[in-house]
Amino acid sequence: MADKIDMNQKWNWPLWIGFAVAIAGLFSYPLFAQYPLTRDFPWANLLLFAVGGILLGAGLVRAFGRPQLYHGKIFGSIFAVLALLAFGFFAHEIFYVHRQVPLSAQAPRVGENAPAFTLPDQNGKRVALADLLSPNGAILIFYRGHW
Amino acid sequence: MGFNYRFLSDENAEVIRRYDLLHPGAGPRHTDIARPAEFYIDSGGIVQWVNLTGNIAVRARPEEALRVIDALKQ
Repeated sequence: MADKIDMNQKWNWPLWIGFAVAIAGLFSYPLFAQYPLTRDFPWANLLLFAVGGILLGAGLVRAFGRPQLYHGKIFGSIFAVLALLAFGFFAHEIFYVHRQVPLSAQAPRVGENAPAFTLPDQNGKRVALADLLSPNGAILIFYRGHW
Repeated sequence: MGFNYRFLSDENAEVIRRYDLLHPGAGPRHTDIARPAEFYIDSGGIVQWVNLTGNIAVRARPEEALRVIDALKQ
């Protein structure tokens, strides 16, 4: 029975690594958002949060289950709360804020005439929609950057 | 079939408003910008495809637009 107090406590690495991985799940979003595969659904970030959460959980089980062997009851709990807050913020942004788009009920619909316009191009030359339509029509993209 | 790109600037969001695509306060420092939107307009000026995403992070991919155009041309 290893019930003696061990003066050389072991490093409770899952707490540290798990916290680092979970925080990486938040801050790696600008990187993964550059690629449609990881932006359309942020599975890479969610995977990092999941791995971080599992490690943090394992570290807490160690810290509370065998406190004589592993540190981390207090800082592990703080890590877990911070990681949860990071995940909550991420989930709120991705699954709520990103979906708050206007109704655009008056936007042109299929079969309607596209409203005419004339706008300057990058050289300051004025271009009309009609100038762009022959002979094959045009894809009109309202691009706003990554916001 | 080649593609040409033209970049047009809608500095005062006039066309964005005309197309009902304004997303108030969603830009940097809460400026008004367009919601992401894509249209295919045929040579007669008729809208043939509209993509109004429900999630600003999810936008039409080039392959999707090409598929739409191919389907319409058949």
